[in-house]
Amino acid sequence: MPTKELVTKVWIDPGCIVCDACENTCPEVFDVQEDTCLIRPPAMEAAFTRPLTQKIAEAAEECPVDVIKFEVQAVELSDAEAAKIFSADSGAPAAAAEAAAPAAAPAAPPAHAAPAHKPAAAAAAAPAVKSHSPLAPAADLGDPGLQALLAAARTRGGQAGISKARGGLISGDPLRTDPDNLPPDARYAKTLEEARKIKKDGVTRREAMSFSSVALAAGWATFAGALGIMVGPAGLSFSMPRALEEPDPRVRVGPLKQYVEMKPGEVNEDYKPKGIWMIREEDRVSALNIICTHLGCIPNWLPNDRKFLCPCHGSGYYFTGINFQGPTPRPLERFRIVIEDGIVVVDKSKKFQQELGQWDMPESHLAV
Amino acid sequence: MHYLLAAGGIERVKHAINTICEPAPFFILSCAALAVFLIGYRFWTRPAVAALLGLSAVLYYAISGLDENFFSIISKPDNVPISIMMGTVAFCTWLAFRQAAINDARVERGEPLLEAGADDKVLVWPDLVYIEFIALILCTAGLIAWAILLRAPLEQPADPSVAPNPAKAPWYFLGLQELLVYFDPWIAGVLLPGLIILGLIALPYLDKNPRGNGYYTFKERPLVITMYMLGWVVLWVVLIVFGTFLRGPNWIFFGPYEYWDAHKLAALLNIDFRDLFWIKALHQGLPSHWLVREAPGLIFIGFWFTGVPILMAWTCFRKTYRQIGFIRYAVMSQLLMWMFLVPLKMALRWTINLHYFIAIPELPFNV
Repeated sequence: MPTKELVTKVWIDPGCIVCDACENTCPEVFDVQEDTCLIRPPAMEAAFTRPLTQKIAEAAEECPVDVIKFEVQAVELSDAEAAKIFSADSGAPAAAAEAAAPAAAPAAPPAHAAPAHKPAAAAAAAPAVKSHSPLAPAADLGDPGLQALLAAARTRGGQAGISKARGGLISGDPLRTDPDNLPPDARYAKTLEEARKIKKDGVTRREAMSFSSVALAAGWATFAGALGIMVGPAGLSFSMPRALEEPDPRVRVGPLKQYVEMKPGEVNEDYKPKGIWMIREEDRVSALNIICTHLGCIPNWLPNDRKFLCPCHGSGYYFTGINFQGPTPRPLERFRIVIEDGIVVVDKSKKFQQELGQWDMPESHLAV
Repeated sequence: MHYLLAAGGIERVKHAINTICEPAPFFILSCAALAVFLIGYRFWTRPAVAALLGLSAVLYYAISGLDENFFSIISKPDNVPISIMMGTVAFCTWLAFRQAAINDARVERGEPLLEAGADDKVLVWPDLVYIEFIALILCTAGLIAWAILLRAPLEQPADPSVAPNPAKAPWYFLGLQELLVYFDPWIAGVLLPGLIILGLIALPYLDKNPRGNGYYTFKERPLVITMYMLGWVVLWVVLIVFGTFLRGPNWIFFGPYEYWDAHKLAALLNIDFRDLFWIKALHQGLPSHWLVREAPGLIFIGFWFTGVPILMAWTCFRKTYRQIGFIRYAVMSQLLMWMFLVPLKMALRWTINLHYFIAIPELPFNV
């Protein structure tokens, strides 16, 4: 029969950062609480931890702050049992467990324990079993952190488990049979089930957080909805036009004759207060919108330079309205222009845009 | 004779200052001045040196005030806050860098920081309330004096068909108005201000480096502080100074001693990125479809926002990328690329009159 070193005792040193790694690896043993990790009461018995040696070693290996400590004891096992405990596909963790064992059983009290259970050649000679208990009475513990941890465990109702475990350990019979008389497999199942039940009945921190965020979101949604119901109609009514009638978009700008008599390249500013520049090109008369297409300022016509310049951001247009300078992305717009009863009428409700190829459409200009 | 020569000399100096106050030299000099200041921050922040610098600035202002054009600009009631702002920005910058210089020297000597053991907690009552009350009274008194001495600038009655020339935003928005000269309204007016606010909110999440938390230092965070100073002093304060002092009628640049002539000629014939590519480089006409026509600009902007960050992650930001991870790097690089698109676009406008990288008035979409 081969001899294997199996975990007989597990404990947590002070300094746990509640990262949940150990509970994910070995939920049967580790129970991560709000502020530290505890050993589940059943796992305080050697009979429980021994078959879990591999997982415990993995958890200790993974622990980022190396606070998981354990003791091992050499036990004779049948091949079948050994195979069951140390699954064939992961020899490395088992080896790690074996290597880790000596270092995890330091001669010094736990408070001064080596920070990590790295393989230590010198420690290989150390006894594999040690009787010191991390859960000894407070008087034995020099470390205030450990005492505080113990006190915390007690206030959470862990006293029974601690006493029970200590009873088992102090009795000197780590191989004591389980009171429930269940085979180990069934007991893991039971522990897991209990853990799930606790998770199901109680509220974990994560659940509490997600619940409160949902509640917060719901609260804000209600607030926003109420606000929408109260303010929405007002906003809608504000966006509706209040004026009953708009000024006539059709502006009568006089007979065509005066525009035909203008020199090509001239701009008539008489109707600028109405929002129109009348311009004369070689073959046509058109009506320009005075609004700058960049950001809606009113450019100035500079007759000597023969260009429109915007005082806001420096956009420049030729007299035709084509943009050539500054940030403006497109030419000035032109209004619909028609002759009614011999009078030129500019219809500001219809615009023609050069970049859309609309300046050659009928009614965008008057051919002369 | 001597008098005439002296007058001619002053005119030459004025002309030289007008020339370096043109946008491209002014901007380059601002960046260079910032670089010189940051490299030699321990020297420039010495109280004697800083006082000398401040005094020369005041002296320059006073002497320049003798010039009619300069005086008419700085004495405009709207522009007085800008002068005050330049002074306060300079003072606050000096104060921070002075403490950083002291701290960095102390750390080098192995001494504790200025802030170490500093007990700057005060009681709300009476200490804080008294300080606030005194500050309140002083501010009120200052505002009253300001209101009496400088008249509120009332202009002509509003006329929907005439805009004042130049039409200027409130002084604190002049930086944004200056951005509007180079970008489409939706970028300069919505996207960039939004990115500035979002970027400032995101800073603590992007920057995981704890150095400089709670104490002044420059040596420990040179790159980050340089970026901040570039964004704040050059791309915000300098743009406000541009907009206030150097932009005249029709939003054309004028030197500080130049008369604001509404008919000043400025040869600013725009050219688009597509024209550079299709006409100047390939000597052919513009393609008719806008997607083909703007392909060079689209590719350039796409490369600017994806290729350049990837290249930087490979080269100069390799270490940063490893430290902060993909998501943080992606957000940070996008913010940086937007920030650096601004000076790039400005420089190209000043030098080659670049209109837009992407100009699709049909959609409309312009970058």
